[in-house]
Amino acid sequence: MTLEPLGRSLSDFTVELDVYSGPYEWLLALILKDELDIFEVPLHELVASYLLARQPDAANGLERDTDFAGSAAALVLLKSRTLSPAIDTEDIEDETLSLSPEELAERLTEYLKIRRAAQHLKIRFAANAGHYASGHTIPPRPGSLAIQPDRVSLAARQAFSRVLEPPVRHLGPITVTLQELAGIIRTALAGGPISYETLTSDMDRMNSAVAFAAALSLAQEGSLTLAQTEPLGPLILEPSR
Amino acid sequence: MSDQERKLPSPRPAHLVEAVLLVSASPLSSSDLCSATGLSEPELESVLACLRERYAPEASGIVLRDVAGGYLLSTNPACSAAVERFRREARPAPLSGAAHEVLACALYLGPLSRGAVSRVRGVNSDAVIRSLIERGLLVEVGTDRDAPGSPALLGVTDEFLAATGASSPDDFPSVDSLVTQEELARVRERLASSTTAPHEAEHS
Repeated sequence: MTLEPLGRSLSDFTVELDVYSGPYEWLLALILKDELDIFEVPLHELVASYLLARQPDAANGLERDTDFAGSAAALVLLKSRTLSPAIDTEDIEDETLSLSPEELAERLTEYLKIRRAAQHLKIRFAANAGHYASGHTIPPRPGSLAIQPDRVSLAARQAFSRVLEPPVRHLGPITVTLQELAGIIRTALAGGPISYETLTSDMDRMNSAVAFAAALSLAQEGSLTLAQTEPLGPLILEPSR
Repeated sequence: MSDQERKLPSPRPAHLVEAVLLVSASPLSSSDLCSATGLSEPELESVLACLRERYAPEASGIVLRDVAGGYLLSTNPACSAAVERFRREARPAPLSGAAHEVLACALYLGPLSRGAVSRVRGVNSDAVIRSLIERGLLVEVGTDRDAPGSPALLGVTDEFLAATGASSPDDFPSVDSLVTQEELARVRERLASSTTAPHEAEHS
């Protein structure tokens, strides 16, 4: 589907130039179609013509000004791009200037489509203006969320009940403490350095583990030093000097 | 049931649909109408065909519109001057060109972020977007979780569809059909010549 040419706020603006005389919009079309070289169009005369024909008090005065400023800026850009030498993009930080010609063409094409779509929307808005619906406001409908009473009471019980003590029946009685093993280590060290293996030779696994923890604790507080010359080698507990 | 109610004749299906539509300020879907009136889908279709004739623009001061995925009774635009005098309010100011462009972006390229709209238009569009959200024509429909900062994504609203007389976004022509291939080719050629001409001139 293609649309017919769209009405615009500048449709009644005409220009009188040496190279062209007629509607401004047609001038833009001729430039776009390459039927009129932009080099031959004096942009300052265009601006002067518009300032003379400007209608600040018109209902669409601001829109006319905006449209003209936008189109004139596009002409300035087009002319400057045509006149300027090749641009070294490495020196330009501006994203639009660093685009490749293909990317720029793609972006301009996309904008052209959006511009046309905007003009199409403008027509649709105008064609559908003046419809007024009922002023009656419908109260909001109740939601479809179903709450079951038993689930509410369960949630309330869980929210307001006291936190239960964690079950400890699977835990056995405490048979050894860190302090007891630290005392044993201190006693053993009174006779000089001792290896961890010798220290725990007659202990079960529980006492051996706690003895290791007690040795680390005593080493941390500076009561003894731990020495191991090779990985996985014998661990020697020495009294601090 | 009171005596007065007992004397009232049973309403026709068309009257039921008419009554429900009258009190709705927003479009009602077929399922809404069926649910409210107790009519089946085929019965509703038949009734709506009658109502379309009864409320045709040339036949009544009220028109039946098929917009935003539903049906809506509205005043006939031909009577808008009288309605606006009665309501003592002017018609909302028409949207600016920039606003139309932003809406076109949301309609054809959306959902998209504010930054994406600005990139397409080449200018910052935040103020225009804010204005359109206030007018109910744009809405944040989600977030782009893949983009830095998870920006909000914008889409058009049912109010937009109603204001443009569209039943759904599919009612609009495709964006590619709005520009002819010849026009696009001219833009590309023009751009190519404007970027290569000085370069070639330098070498020649």
